[in-house]
Amino acid sequence: MTTTAPTGTQPPAAPPASAPTPVAPPPRKGNPWLPTFRGVSLMTRIELRRRRPSTKGYIFYGILFAIVIAICIAAAIFTPAQLSSTNFEIVLIMVLGVGMLIAPSLSATSINGDSGEGVLAPLQMSHLTAGDIAVGKLLASWTVSVFALVALSPFLIYTYLSSGWRLGEMLITIGAILLVVLTFTAVGLAWSSIAARAVASVALAHLTTGFFLIGTIIVFGVSTLLVTEEAPDRDRYIDYGQMTPAAEDALNDAYMTGDFSALNADDYTCIDSEWAYTVTHTEKVAWILLMNPAVMITETAPIVDPETWEEDGRAAPGVFANVHQLLSEARLGPDDELTGYEPWDECADLERQISAAAQVSDEDMEAEWAETEADWEARQREVANLERAPWLGLGVSVLLLVGSMWIVINRLRVPYKKLRSGTRVA
Amino acid sequence: MTATAQAPAPVREAIVATGVARSFGSVHAVQDATLTVPAGSVTALIGPNGCGKTTLMLMLSGLLRPDAGTITVAGHNPSTDAAAVRASIGWMPDQLGSWDNLTCLQTLTLMGEAYRIPRATARARGVDLLARVHLSEFAERPARVLSRGQKQRLSLARALVHDPGVLLLDEPANGLDPRSRIELRTLVREFAGEGRAVLVSSHVLAELDEMVDDAIFMSQGRTLGDDAAAMVADAKTKYRVDALEPQVLHEALAAYNVPFEAQEYGAIVRIDDAHKAAQALAWLVQQGVAVHRFGPVGSALEQTYMAMNEERR
Repeated sequence: MTTTAPTGTQPPAAPPASAPTPVAPPPRKGNPWLPTFRGVSLMTRIELRRRRPSTKGYIFYGILFAIVIAICIAAAIFTPAQLSSTNFEIVLIMVLGVGMLIAPSLSATSINGDSGEGVLAPLQMSHLTAGDIAVGKLLASWTVSVFALVALSPFLIYTYLSSGWRLGEMLITIGAILLVVLTFTAVGLAWSSIAARAVASVALAHLTTGFFLIGTIIVFGVSTLLVTEEAPDRDRYIDYGQMTPAAEDALNDAYMTGDFSALNADDYTCIDSEWAYTVTHTEKVAWILLMNPAVMITETAPIVDPETWEEDGRAAPGVFANVHQLLSEARLGPDDELTGYEPWDECADLERQISAAAQVSDEDMEAEWAETEADWEARQREVANLERAPWLGLGVSVLLLVGSMWIVINRLRVPYKKLRSGTRVA
Repeated sequence: MTATAQAPAPVREAIVATGVARSFGSVHAVQDATLTVPAGSVTALIGPNGCGKTTLMLMLSGLLRPDAGTITVAGHNPSTDAAAVRASIGWMPDQLGSWDNLTCLQTLTLMGEAYRIPRATARARGVDLLARVHLSEFAERPARVLSRGQKQRLSLARALVHDPGVLLLDEPANGLDPRSRIELRTLVREFAGEGRAVLVSSHVLAELDEMVDDAIFMSQGRTLGDDAAAMVADAKTKYRVDALEPQVLHEALAAYNVPFEAQEYGAIVRIDDAHKAAQALAWLVQQGVAVHRFGPVGSALEQTYMAMNEERR
């Protein structure tokens, strides 16, 4: 306590007895803008304190968390006895969802809101640099999402224990989630430094998030039309309309018994059917999906081999592994061996059956099927084990983060050259 | 401490602005502003709404870049050394902004920390400043419970946390009750007495009359330099004489070739100082004029302001 501090009981008109506390702020030079550790931590402290939720805010957060926790409890309860990663992945998705809802909403009103309330300019007048204010605001909003992660951590840990994930893998994926939330918090902040009104910046922030989460999938879907090629094909069918009743009965009998020896090929006429089938080269546009931040996060998840997961100590492929498979499918594109179309010729088939007259043994058929199945399984394993590709999404995320912060710092630097239209400085 | 040639020898001219201009799109908010504010004095910035006072103050404070002209604040140029300019200025904006969730003392402490003042010192200074603006009993209460006038005083305290050499007060008397206005007047004089340069804008001209050493008038984005100063000087010499029979007064003045402005109630004459005023009154009574009221016409700033605004019509 200082001796100069008067007590509250003194009459308000009494002037302070002694000279006010002398202060000696350090001198300043130039017009610095880079964030400093001290400035950022002070700004974060100010923001966290002044944005403490009101009673209504706590009720809102309470309801939100009640819902999330209910889902997490369900996920925890329905954890089966054997390893299962899906429950853990649901909790991870909850962490991402809550973070993406809260943090950008907070940051998207942070700058234009402050400016409207008249509390931004006094801070800009102080020794805090534009970088201090920008990064401090970013971290303060982001910290709220980290609170969400902490609040959900019991469920995270509980479900992690039976997920078959390794600790390092969990930390990497959580790191990816926090990075994505940080990026979209920065995007919200950028919008709030550009738009004059809070309504506009919040809407734009959520639209940007929506574009990257859902829009990329839609763009991918639409762009597949551009990489779809038509391949004409000609099939031949037996013409049932020109068949005598006797021939038809004989054919039906043959199909029932598998004995084609009694049939005469001349009794059946053939018709041609020409049609076009399409091949979509998704491998040319799969990069659009890789830009999706949610896909980036699932791409950081461990690879689960559909054959050997039990020996590997993994759970059966869960949500993330399935997303990885779908994505890999798109990245590899159509497999000519498997999906390449072979024209169907019913007449040729019939003729072969007649001439071979049941020479095709069941063993041969089974061998053929087995081969097809082996091909398919090999493809599944190839798809599931395809190397993970989070790098493009990671790059997009970092680029958005850096770009957004660059915008924010530029908009916060004083003296202003330009003002947001329809605003005042103070 | 070694004293260098540039060391804090008090800068006489705390603010010097020459030919400053700034426009927002097609709106020329400030077209040509020239002013000087010496250290240890109070200067008023007077002008009608929308004449560019706030814009000029923003440029002086280093928040807004002028399109043209030069500014020097406390020896620094805001366009090359904006941080030094901002650090030397205590700025009280016309818009009331407060951190509603934080207490008054927290606000001042955090603001002090934003100026890189150690927390304990900033807190002690905050306590002192709250006492100075008579908000001590609100130190631990959130800023949202403050009334408009109280927020205004908190804003004034906030402008002082870093002990600035230059104070820019934008409409500080807005929303203050009469007692607080008188206290503000005393405070502003104290600030000047402490060697600070104070530039204060206000509409309450009668208030300013007793507070300021100098006044700068602004109209349509321009400062009216010497003309306005001459008008203020002239206005200060004006005395109003009310006589029971104005006719007698007019005749007496005319007979001795005293220049005067005839009025319904009497006349307005120009008298240089108080001594001469006493002599003049004695003389008038001697001439048999029934003087029932005698004194300065009123606020010199107000007269000048009104005269200046006549151009607008």
